[in-house]
Formats: sequence, structure tokens, C-alpha cells
Amino acid sequence: MAPATSPTGSDHTGSRRRPFWTMERRDALAGYLFIAPQLIGITIFVLIPLCLVFWFSLHEWNVLAARFTYTGAANYKALLSDPGLGEVFGATAIFSLGLVVLNMSLALLLAVLLSQKLTGITVFRTLFFSPVVVSLVAWTIVWSFLLQKNGGLNAILQVFGLEGSNWLRDPTTAMISVIVVQVFKNVGLNMILFLAALQGVPKELYEAARVDGVSPFKQFRRITVPLISPTILLTSIITIVGSLQVFAQIAVLTQGGPGMSTTVLVYYLYQQAFQFHRFGYGSTLSIVLFVIVAVLTFVQWQMRKRIVFYER
Amino acid sequence: MAPVKLANVRKSFGAVEIIQGVDVDIVDGEFLVLVGPSGCGKSTLLRMIAGLESISSGEIAIGDRVVNDLEPKFRDIAMVFQNYALYPHMTVERNMGFSLEHRGHSKSEIAERVQWAAQILDLAKLLDRYPRQLSGGQRQRVAMGRAIVRNPQVFLFDEPLSNLDAKLRVVMRAEIKSLHQRLGVTTVYVTHDQVEAMTMADRIVVMNGGKVEQIGTPLELYDRPANRFVAGFIGSPAMNFLPGTITRAGFEAGGVTLPLPGPIAERDGQDAVYGIRPEHLALDGEGLEAEVLLVEPMGSETQVTLRLAGQQMIAVFRERISARPGETIRLRPDVAAAHLFDAASGARLN
Amino acid sequence: MNGELSPRMKVVVYGLMSVLLIPFVFPTWWMVTSSIKPISDIFAFPPEIVPSRLDLSTYAKVFELQPFAQQYWNSAYIAAVVTVGTMLFSSMAGYAFARIRFPFANTLFMIVLLGLLIPSEVTIVPLFRIFLSWGMVNTHWPLILVPIFGAPSVFATFVMRQYFIALPVELEEAARVDGLGRFKIFRTIALPLARPALGAVGIFTFLHSWNLYLEPIVFLSSPEKFTLPQALTQFTDAYGGAMWNIQLAAATMTAIPVLIVFIVAQKQFIEGLAHTGLKG
Ligand SMILES: Nc1ncnc2c1ncn2[C@@H]1O[C@H](COP(=O)(O)OP(=O)(O)OP(=O)(O)O)[C@@H](O)[C@H]1O
Ligand SMILES: [Mg+2]
Repeated sequence: MAPATSPTGSDHTGSRRRPFWTMERRDALAGYLFIAPQLIGITIFVLIPLCLVFWFSLHEWNVLAARFTYTGAANYKALLSDPGLGEVFGATAIFSLGLVVLNMSLALLLAVLLSQKLTGITVFRTLFFSPVVVSLVAWTIVWSFLLQKNGGLNAILQVFGLEGSNWLRDPTTAMISVIVVQVFKNVGLNMILFLAALQGVPKELYEAARVDGVSPFKQFRRITVPLISPTILLTSIITIVGSLQVFAQIAVLTQGGPGMSTTVLVYYLYQQAFQFHRFGYGSTLSIVLFVIVAVLTFVQWQMRKRIVFYER
Repeated sequence: MAPVKLANVRKSFGAVEIIQGVDVDIVDGEFLVLVGPSGCGKSTLLRMIAGLESISSGEIAIGDRVVNDLEPKFRDIAMVFQNYALYPHMTVERNMGFSLEHRGHSKSEIAERVQWAAQILDLAKLLDRYPRQLSGGQRQRVAMGRAIVRNPQVFLFDEPLSNLDAKLRVVMRAEIKSLHQRLGVTTVYVTHDQVEAMTMADRIVVMNGGKVEQIGTPLELYDRPANRFVAGFIGSPAMNFLPGTITRAGFEAGGVTLPLPGPIAERDGQDAVYGIRPEHLALDGEGLEAEVLLVEPMGSETQVTLRLAGQQMIAVFRERISARPGETIRLRPDVAAAHLFDAASGARLN
Repeated sequence: MNGELSPRMKVVVYGLMSVLLIPFVFPTWWMVTSSIKPISDIFAFPPEIVPSRLDLSTYAKVFELQPFAQQYWNSAYIAAVVTVGTMLFSSMAGYAFARIRFPFANTLFMIVLLGLLIPSEVTIVPLFRIFLSWGMVNTHWPLILVPIFGAPSVFATFVMRQYFIALPVELEEAARVDGLGRFKIFRTIALPLARPALGAVGIFTFLHSWNLYLEPIVFLSSPEKFTLPQALTQFTDAYGGAMWNIQLAAATMTAIPVLIVFIVAQKQFIEGLAHTGLKG
């Protein structure tokens, strides 16, 4: 009825030639057009820069003199003999490990608490989540203010007759402070993901376990943890990769100090490249960072098979 | 309205050929039902007619146009999906008018067509609702409304009733049928429910494993199935089969001899399968001995599971039966209604 | 998790949550209240949890010391552009990877996913050189282009793809029969149905851009180009010491609008995040 016109004729002999633009080909073209912006963007702003990092690490670049000179493996030799690097790795490892452990356990605890059926629970949920939406630097500045020697935390401690420390200037407490500030900022994200996972566990499983007389603690270990293990794995990947990128917090709270006790890799990279203008060496550090991120992701992906008991 | 012609149509997914050469001529205005077991390729074939799957080889023509490489929108077909596929974010009215919007019809024209369809399908009061606010039967009707507003050449249905409960299914079956009688649009209807096929079809295509087993009117398929597959597929409860040998004396199986349907003496000694529908076994004092295994009274009829010539069979009687499990009754097959199939190929012999 | 709690357990849970809540809520409170105290009160002992005197003059100083309104606008428009751009490109790519069959789709998807392994911290040096050679240092382009195409947008693409995969494909087939082409199907069927995922992607892209810190301090050098995070750290006296009350006032102005939006729309915020195919 509708005036549909046919681009192919109707020469209905067996030897009809197929047009080049078949339905599949047209659809494939649409597919390429859909992914083109992202693919081109990634190529220019991610993949090419990644290749350039390797290239740069073999050079030294003097921006002011506009000189770009090939230096071979010099930056890598410098890396191996860098006296500060051990400390940087140490600080990075402590920060990431501390952050992941604290973040994941607190997120799980909060999620379990928030999954209880209690009046007003959404208010708690909102409040626990709220630091996620507070501007990162604003949050860090407040904590910096709180953690000053004469700041709010010490004042409150003093009210209770306790003596605080100069949290951000004392080598033993600076790292802990940085980790804690970051955990409170972002734990809400993982908390919500865990909460959603907990709510996805079929109620009947708990009912069956209760009928079988399984204690609540065992229920948690034997039912909850296995069933939410995909979420645990995914959030741990996101959290650990995210922890390696922490920069603003360090820059605002400690500037890597005292000494180099909180100089994590990204901060060190920034210092070397953009404060000391050692762009070649900064690129070499970038490669180290890339390798760490890649290895961690790969390892956790492999662990998927062993840890994850259950997948949707 | 237009005829639809499938000529040696094939479809492969990778190396697997799912549709293995199908030829069907669908007459203008016909209600054609595709039946077959799950996975036999019914949906794939229907979707090839719709243009949702490409055609690996062969030809599909709608009217006098070969549509192989035409987008669905140029084929002038409408399709009703098993799960209705109503757009959840649009009202019933918008759902029904959506295709017209994209074919450059004017607003008033669209409103008129939608009103017309809503009238026919009794949807006029529901036009402002969203699909989630409708019952299953209402959604089904909206899906049909969406198909008819466009006044297409061909309707395609893919198991449209399988998400409804048994009662509603009967109601909607009648409604689809009367809609077809009213509009007279060529219809291809996929189902795996053979009752639906029998009651709705002008002609049925029985498919199995990507091939057509038989095409015919419901009663042709019922009375003269072309092979053992069709015989077993059409009819409920299914036809009884008794494997044995053709001899001059008759059909020998499990120590009994049955009379042969028709003169097929030249097949002496051939292995064959004797087929007899449950309602063609009658009680007869002179008949063959059968052991009763199970009696299921349904009210209007009684279904008896029994063992005859070493083979488990089902018989259906209009009269009420007092037999109990373990007892022996005597039965006589209605020779005129018996079927004989080749043991190896399954092809009909009589 | 399971069943009702006994009244005693309820008290325990409420108590525990209230104590745990302090470090989540108190800093924000302390930020706001300190910013409206006179400077002499902000280090008072005992600490004033509720301010006894108000002094709003610090807020005026924020705008005197920095082109703060301009900086606010910079952050806002950059975040808006990045959010819209990411939502558009990620949903398009996510849709194609979920729905359209084309040669090398899997390989290309793997290449895109590679972007997740390469945070912009890794590529910051070459990015600096690239933007320098394009004359885009001390402009906002790097802060727009890098996030729209970098790791965060890859994550968004992944989230969108997961969501599109889960949508019933029959809806799109029905639309094809109804006469729509790919692009129209995407715009009128798939995208409207992906609103929850799109919302979550939008929220997190916005927050990511709003919080960006490394890129601004690498690429921007003049105060009227600064974004908020960078501006917040600039309120220092001649000796480099923080001017706390002014810094806190600026921080308050940065944090509170987003916080209010969040509290108003917290249901969509949190549920969008929770439902967004992050389950693997
Ligand atoms: N896209 C595809 N790729 C590979 N194989 C497919 C694809 N679509 C369908 N098949 C296969 O083709 C065969 C026929 O599928 P089809 O959906 O047509 O069956 P059907 O007769 O409609 O079955 P049902 O009654 O269960 O709906 C099945 O074996 C199926 O696995
Ligand atoms: Mg099917």
C-alpha cells in the first residue's frame, strides 16, 4: 500500500546480482560511524601518547631551549640508580595497599549495616555517600585544616584530655592521614556497589540457611561473600587502579612530605617532569606506572577464575 | 495484500545451515501457519521474510518484488513479536502511530488510522496508557494494533500468544482469526502449538530441522500425513506407532497381525511402521488384546494408556470405560484410517 | 540482609552507624561553619562546633583575591561540555559494540578497553608536548579533550555497552520493521531506554571533570583560566601560608551547590550508580 520503491529491480531469475551495499554492509558501516568519534579520540589522546611516552623516555627534552635530544637508555640507567625511587615505591605500595584494605572493608561493613531494614536508613545512606560529591580539593582542604597542629581534630582530642600530633608533618602519621582522608572521600562508591550486590542475593538462600540452622556469621561467609564476589573483584580493581592515580590529595595535604614519606609515584612523576623539567625521566616513570597498572589489572583478571564463584 | 513466494531459501549461521532450502508459495490473503519443534528454524524463516535476517541464498518475493536485499521498512510488512516489543517509553497511541510517523504521514492521518485500529481492537480507552499499565491481553492487542495501522501487504506473527494464559490464548486466537477474515491480509503465523496451527490455518507448513516436511490444509495433514514426522507432530494425543513387517497376511508386529490399509502386497517383507491415531482404536470383543496401564477420564472422553503388541499406545474413547489398570481389553484398529510408513525413510507408503 | 533485627540489635546498628558517620559529615560541617566565623574564632579553644559570631566578609575577599567568578564559570562550562561529549560518544560507541555486527568489532572493543589501563597520568608528558605544539597550553582544550576521549570515557563506554546488551533486542527489531534506520533507532528507542545508565555516566563524568587537578596545574598558568580545584589552593599569604577562612569560603562555594543537587536528586544518583551494570 505504502509507495515503497525498490532499489533492486525484480529480475527474478536465479542469477540476480547482489548489490554491494547489502543490509549487512550498511549496518556495518553504521557501526563504524558510531564508534568512529571515540576510536579516533582514543587513538589521538591515548594510544599515540602512550607510544610517545616510550619514545620520550629515550630522550631528554629541554622546553626552554626547545631542544629534544636522543639519550638512549640514559633515563633507564637513571631510574635504576635513583636513590629516591625505593622510597617512592614504598610510599606507593603502602598507600595503595592501605587504601584498598581500608576502603573495601569499610565499604563492606557500611553496606551490611545499610542493608538492614531500619527506618531512616536512606538518610544514613545519603550521608555516607555525600563526600563522594564534595569537590575533591575542597574536601582535602578541610581535612588539611582539621589536621593542622592547632586544627580542629587536635582541639577536640584536647577537650577529651588526649594529645594529638602534627598529623601531616609527622612521618609516622602523614601517610595514615592521607589514606584516611581518601578513604572517607570515596568509600561511598564501593559501599553503594556492595549494597546493590547484597540486595541482589536471593532472600530464599538466607531463609534456607536459617532453616538449616546456619549461624549469621557463617551465612555471611558461605552465602554472601561468594555471591557478591564478582562485585568485590570489580571494585577492588577500580579501587587499586584509582589509588595509583592519587595526586590532588598529596599535593594539597603533604606535597609528598615530610621527607619523601608520602611521595607516591604519580606525585614523583609530576615533580620530576613539571617541577624539575626532566620530561624524559618523567616519561620513564610514566612507563613504570603503566606497567604497574597493566600488571595489576592482568593479575586481578586472572584471579577472577579462582575468586569468583558465581557470575551473573 | 500480496502473495509471498519463497524459492529455495537458505540460511547459514557460520558453517551451520539452519534453513536448508525452503519452497513455499503463499497465496494472496492466505493465513499460513509455520509449525515445528523448537529450534527447527521457524523464527529464522519468518525473520528472513521480515528482513531482520539476511538470506544466504534463494529468493523471497513479496508481491512481484524480490525483497532479498530490501530493508524491512521497504518490504511493507508488519510483525508481531512474541514478547510484543512495545516501546516502554511511549503511550499506546504513540506505539501504534510510531511507524506512520516515520513514513511521513500527516498528524491527522496518523490520528485517524490509530483511531480506526483502536476501534477494531477495542483499545480506544487505553490510548493514553503506557505498556507497563496494561494486562497481557491488552499488550497483545496493542501489538496487533501497531501492525494493522499501517495496512501492510503481509502480517508476520512469531508465537504471539505464547505469553498468555490458556484461557486468554483461546480468546485471542479467535480474535486474530476474525481480524484476518475482516482485513484479508496475507498472514504468516509461527507457532509450535499444533492446536493453534490446526484451528487458525488455511494451510500449515510443518518444518523440521530447517526443512519443510509437508504443506497442506489442516485436515490434509491430519488425515494424510506425508511422513512419520508429520504424523507424529500433528494431532494430540499423538499418533501411535507400531514397528513391524509387511507380509502377505498383513502387518506383523509383536506377535500380532494387523490388516493392511490398501493393497500394498508388492512390499512383502519390507520393514515398516504402522500408524494409528488414538481415536481410531475401537473396543471390539473380537479385537486385539491390550493390557490397560492407565485410565484418564476427561469427562467428554476417556484416554487410556495401554500395551498392545508389546508397544505402549494411547487410545481415546468417546464412551466411558470401566477398565482398570492391569485388566485386558480388546481393540480393533480402523483400517481405513491407518497409516503405513517406511521404517527407514519415514515416508508414507499407503 | 535477612529478616528483622531484634530491638537490641537495632540500637547497636544505629549507634554504630552514627559513630561511623562523624568523619563523613563533620568535615563538611566544619568547612561551612569555619568559613562564616570571624578569623579570630576559627582556631578558638574549645572548638566552636556551632559558630557564636558570624562574619561573611571572607566571601567578598574570595572574589577580590582571585577572578573567582570567572574560575567558577570555567569549571562549570568545562564540566558541562565534557559531560555532554562523553555521554554522546560513549553511548554511541557502547551501542555499536553492544548491538551492531561489524568486522573486527571485538578487536576494536579490546583496543578501546585498553584505554582503561592508560590513565592520563601515564601520558601526561606527551599530552603536554602535543598540546604545546598545537598552541593549546594555557587553554581549556586539554581539560575538555583528554577526559572526553581518555580513560573515564572508556569506562563510560563499557557501562553503556553493558546496559544496551541487557535491553530487549526485539524493541529495535520492531523499530526496524516500523521503518527506522540505525541512527533513528539509537536516538528514539535505545537512548531513551538507557536513561538510567546515561544518568549515572553523566553524574560521574561531571564529578570527574569537576575534580580534575593534575591537568589544570600542568596546562594552565593564568588565574583567569584556572578551574576551581586549582583556584582553591591559591589563597595563600605572602609567605605561602594558607589563608584558611578564605580558602574555606571558596571551598564551601565549590562544594555546596553540587552537594545540594545531590541531596535533592540522591535517589537517582545512588540508584543510577547501583543499577549501572557495574556488576561485571
Ligand atoms: N543469530 C544466530 N546465530 C547462530 N545460530 C542461530 C542464530 N539464531 C538462531 N540460531 C539457531 O537457529 C536455529 C533455529 O532457530 P529459530 O529461532 O529459528 O528456531 P524456532 O523454530 O523459532 O524455535 P522456537 O520454537 O524455540 O522459537 C536454532 O538452532 C538456533 O540455535
Ligand atoms: Mg522462535
